[in-house]
Amino acid sequence: MIDLIKQCITMSIPLVLIALAGFFSERGGVINIGLEGKTLLACFFAVAFSSRFGPGMGLCLTIVATSLVSLLHWLLTQVYRMDHIISGMAINLLAAGATSFFKFKFAPDGLDDAHSPPKMLLYALGIIAPALLWWLSHKTRFGLQHRSAGSDPDKARLLGINPQGIRFMGLIGTGVLCALAGSLLIAETPQFTDGMTSGRGYIALAALILGGWRPVNAGLACLLFGAASALQIQYNGQYIPSEAWKSLPYLVTLLAIAGFLGRNRTPAGLGKP
Amino acid sequence: MNLAVEMTQISKRYGDVQALDQVSLAVEKGTIHALVGENGAGKTTLMKALYGALIPDSGLIRLNGDRVTLKSSREAIAQGIGMVSQHYGIIGELTNLENLILGAENGPVLTPAQNEQRAQELAQQMGFEFDWSAESSTLSPAGGQKLEILKLLWRNSQIMILDEPTAMLSPQDSDALYASLKQLAASGTTIIVVTHRLPEVFEHCKRVTVVRGGCLIADHEVAEVGATQLAEEIVGGSVIERPTPVSSASGVTSLAVSDLEVKGDKGQVAVKGISFDLKAGQLVGIAGVDGNGQRELFHSIIGYAKPIAGSITLNGDSWIGASIGERIIAGLRVIPEDRHHEGVIEDWTLFENSSLGLQRLAEFSNIGAGQAELAPRMAEKFSTKHGGLNQKMGSLSGGNQQRFVAGRALEIYPKLILAFQPARGLDLNSTTKVYREIRRRCDEGATAVIVSFDLDELLDFCDRILVMNHGELYEPKPEEARDRTAIGRLMVGAA
Repeated sequence: MIDLIKQCITMSIPLVLIALAGFFSERGGVINIGLEGKTLLACFFAVAFSSRFGPGMGLCLTIVATSLVSLLHWLLTQVYRMDHIISGMAINLLAAGATSFFKFKFAPDGLDDAHSPPKMLLYALGIIAPALLWWLSHKTRFGLQHRSAGSDPDKARLLGINPQGIRFMGLIGTGVLCALAGSLLIAETPQFTDGMTSGRGYIALAALILGGWRPVNAGLACLLFGAASALQIQYNGQYIPSEAWKSLPYLVTLLAIAGFLGRNRTPAGLGKP
Repeated sequence: MNLAVEMTQISKRYGDVQALDQVSLAVEKGTIHALVGENGAGKTTLMKALYGALIPDSGLIRLNGDRVTLKSSREAIAQGIGMVSQHYGIIGELTNLENLILGAENGPVLTPAQNEQRAQELAQQMGFEFDWSAESSTLSPAGGQKLEILKLLWRNSQIMILDEPTAMLSPQDSDALYASLKQLAASGTTIIVVTHRLPEVFEHCKRVTVVRGGCLIADHEVAEVGATQLAEEIVGGSVIERPTPVSSASGVTSLAVSDLEVKGDKGQVAVKGISFDLKAGQLVGIAGVDGNGQRELFHSIIGYAKPIAGSITLNGDSWIGASIGERIIAGLRVIPEDRHHEGVIEDWTLFENSSLGLQRLAEFSNIGAGQAELAPRMAEKFSTKHGGLNQKMGSLSGGNQQRFVAGRALEIYPKLILAFQPARGLDLNSTTKVYREIRRRCDEGATAVIVSFDLDELLDFCDRILVMNHGELYEPKPEEARDRTAIGRLMVGAA
């Protein structure tokens, strides 16, 4: 039982951080299918920087580098008005290719000398993050303007708000949280392997949608998906084939989008310039 | 005279179109000033220049005597200018309080209790009432308009621009709105109202400025100008008369609806068991404030929404279960609400659009020949301006698209004409012409049902008026059938 709970936390917290990273961009109107790639790059940065500069500096540099990648997404969607989904997928492909290439080029024997920050710190951040983001979103000027940019950027603009500027801030938030998620994944398995995020970006996005683009509900959805994976690991294919477990998050999300689980809360300005 | 706003010789060009040509406007402080003109005359463009939402090519703006340059709405707001656009700036996903303060928060961390207290004070001052924590998507059009005015007060706007503020309101709500505006003007606020409703100008405004085709036409004290003169200045010629509508209704029932229930897009029951009988030859107007079930009623008669209960028959044939195609063959013709999305395919030529939906009729059995014959007639019916019938529909202005769509609906033996806000985007005389043609078809035995949010338009042209309010249908008593106030009461459910 204790194992199961531990497993559940281990599986959930990275999802929470990634889902909230998605919240920062999506609630402000930027569709973020690129969470997978950003987190994968964050994992790579975490190993590369912490092995060289130690845990503290390593984490800071990971945050800076991942935020820069996230801002690339901002540049593509907000300045060059590229399709949000295509640019997100481009980041995923770029991340998969670039991490694999650099690992092969500079550390063909494996990247594993990570000096991660204490896991407990990252867990704690993951646990308080949903509440913190709820506060940010509902009790601050940034949060209100961020939601307005995600709901109706044209009307927000008429009120003197600059949606592009707000989304810039939002995507920095996305970068920071992806960096934390990447560092946590590395702290769990102190080496980088190709495609080590193994679809967590997509599952987290599914949790965000299931949670109706609200931070606390998205966090709970992550816990649900985390628990499902923990059960799957615990009873590895004993009762239900593991493929069925893996498809669970997507299935539940499909039901949620189809409106079977209450009102659809998609931000109305998602993907609008 | 103490001028709050002086705009001098403002010009603005978009490509080939001179949207504003040296237009000047002077507004006295503490008054309600009307800016009138047809669609596309340049009213909104001029107001956007004052609100900093567009930068004029030339011209000067003075506020209270000081010259200013307004490069963005943010700068205009800082100068005490506020604007309520025609499509309200209220975001449905936020709460009323959040909408009120959005863009004018008093610090990086919100102080809801304090904000709510000030909001409540402002609301009381105006005699409004709001549930501050409710989502704004639940507001009625009148509630939205009130919240917009509070938003301007929250921002300490001294100069308020209201673009067609009563377009979506019932007569009673409009009067209440102007009462609030007069109260604000009396306390020194300057108000510019953009409108096409002349009675409002005469009843509530002090001065009126007329623009047409991007040029300044006239500027009067309202007390010194007559209604006919003002209408002629707006149209730029004589105004086609609108004689009292005379019904040519026979005793034959054409469209009969009974106990009809239809769900809306949010799953609510939008049409609540309504029944009515329309005769051949009747031109019927359905009055009501937007969002009271008119759209759903329309969609169910077209066949676009499936009713959950009740019956619809045309000349005795049941339309429940009939496809849209079958209804069109039976004579259904539609002027839809949203011509861009429901009326035309913008990438298609005018020829191709002429048969859109009607391709199943015998006239189009040879589609090329049918288009060649009928497209010119549809375009000419209301003088659609176009650069050739083989041009794409998207190259036409909104008003011209509307003319073409109306021409198409009325060309081939209509039996049941459904029109949703047919005057949208049209000038005064074109509106009259469209209604005259609908009337002619009714005289030939068709039935027409018009939904409009403009009660005066319906009173001008329809021989019978029904009212929708909260999904229920009401018919005014025979002696009050043309009584504006009585119908207005039914619109807001105060009968």
